Amino acid sequence: MTVFDLRGGCVALGGREILHEVTVSVDSGEFVAVLGANGSGKTTLVRALVGLVPLAAGRLEIFGTPIAHFHDWPRLGYVPQRLAVGGGVPSTVREVVASGRTGRARRLRRLGRADHAAIDHALEDVGLAHRGKDRVATLSGGQQQRVLIARALAGEPEVLVLDEPTAGVDADSQDTLAGALGHLSRLGGSVVLVAHELGPLAGLIDRAVVMGGGRVLSDGPPPAPEGHHARADHVHTHAHEPAVPGRPSVLDPRTFDR
Amino acid sequence: MSFLQFAFMQRALVAAVLVGAAAPAIGTFLVQRRLALMGDGIGHIALTGVALGFLLGTAPVLTAIVISILGAVAIELIRERGRTTGDVALALLFYGGIAGGVLLIGLSPGGSSATLVSYLFGSLSSVRPIDLVVIAGLSVAVLGVVAVFGRELFAVCFDEEVARVSGLPVRFLNILVAVTAAVTVTVAMRVVGLLLVSALMVVPVAAAQQLSASFRATLTGACVVGVVASVGGLIMAFYADVAPGASTVVLALGLFLVAALGSQLRTVR
Repeated sequence: MTVFDLRGGCVALGGREILHEVTVSVDSGEFVAVLGANGSGKTTLVRALVGLVPLAAGRLEIFGTPIAHFHDWPRLGYVPQRLAVGGGVPSTVREVVASGRTGRARRLRRLGRADHAAIDHALEDVGLAHRGKDRVATLSGGQQQRVLIARALAGEPEVLVLDEPTAGVDADSQDTLAGALGHLSRLGGSVVLVAHELGPLAGLIDRAVVMGGGRVLSDGPPPAPEGHHARADHVHTHAHEPAVPGRPSVLDPRTFDR
Repeated sequence: MSFLQFAFMQRALVAAVLVGAAAPAIGTFLVQRRLALMGDGIGHIALTGVALGFLLGTAPVLTAIVISILGAVAIELIRERGRTTGDVALALLFYGGIAGGVLLIGLSPGGSSATLVSYLFGSLSSVRPIDLVVIAGLSVAVLGVVAVFGRELFAVCFDEEVARVSGLPVRFLNILVAVTAAVTVTVAMRVVGLLLVSALMVVPVAAAQQLSASFRATLTGACVVGVVASVGGLIMAFYADVAPGASTVVLALGLFLVAALGSQLRTVR
């Protein structure tokens, strides 16, 4: 089963084309990392996949349904790129995580036993079960990022899309995150993850899509660990490199960072 | 309790309880999405609506509701387009609303800016029995919106993009908040006045969040502070013969100070 199937996807923002005929698909159960330098289009790609930015051209199917007719949104979990959890009113960790359940809940009904169990599991998965009653604002940046991931997990999604979940996150939180995503993956869930650095996530990746200049530069198995600069968390393209589609495989570490 | 023997005071008190609970309830969501001044913006637009009512010879409350709903939806759509920032959109409405109000009242026969004053600051004797029915109906509607859509509104006000991906009807919910805020403003204008109505949507929330850790507790606490302030302000206004809007807001600010001090003491200890 294909989770995302994007063919020839173009995205224009403010009159400028950001993605140029991108073709990417993600199968059920796959763990895909979207890598690339700043401005390579990786965030725009995942935002297009979850329907936050419209396609100017091309075709996108989610779980086999064209996006215009797709309504089964609770099957998706999305974790945006955020530095901090905001809002003008204090909220507890549990309230924020519970809000991830809203897509599955019914109006006028209290959250049921299954809902509370899903919220409890999500909090446990990110190691914050004991912080449920605390104000979100009192948590560290890494812990707040974990709250946002727990919010997505609370909806019990089949696919989780995360935008730079490791950016600016301490080592402990990165390990917890890797544990939670590995758990989801073992249960058969799919993960699409935008990252600059893979860190402890490197071992979980099935496939790496490398973006550059709004195109897919390579799409294949993650780079094999081989020498200092070949580490998966070191993959990045350079601005002076031409953005040519179908360029040599990411497996060749010399493609990058030369 | 001598004030209770006056029928207009009984009506004003019932109105104060309803408005005191409804305004902070929707205000909590506005503060959450950092649109605390939205109520004020809508209040200015409502002024145009009131003046239009005088000009057309219809009920000013009716035209105020219609005009402020249109204005609130306009704010929301401008914000959604993202071309103009929220605060610039609000500024446009502030100035347009107040200029429109003064302009239209000048055009209406026998009208002057003085006619608007009772709407600007509220007046005790202005709540007629028919107004009370309208205020009661609309307050219940506002509280009903919060009760029915509260969970979704929290999700949208907390993180609009994630709410969109989880399939919530984001545009509908945004417009629902805007329209509910507009209705609240026009409901409350008879009691606290247009200039200060926004205070009743924001100050009780600010007071409650000093002492609460959760959104739910803030919302409930804000409603309690709102009711205490509006009822207390009304009684103050009756005895001191001042505008009820002013005494209500001063009382709410006093409660905010007490809460802020309490919160300080708690962290020091």
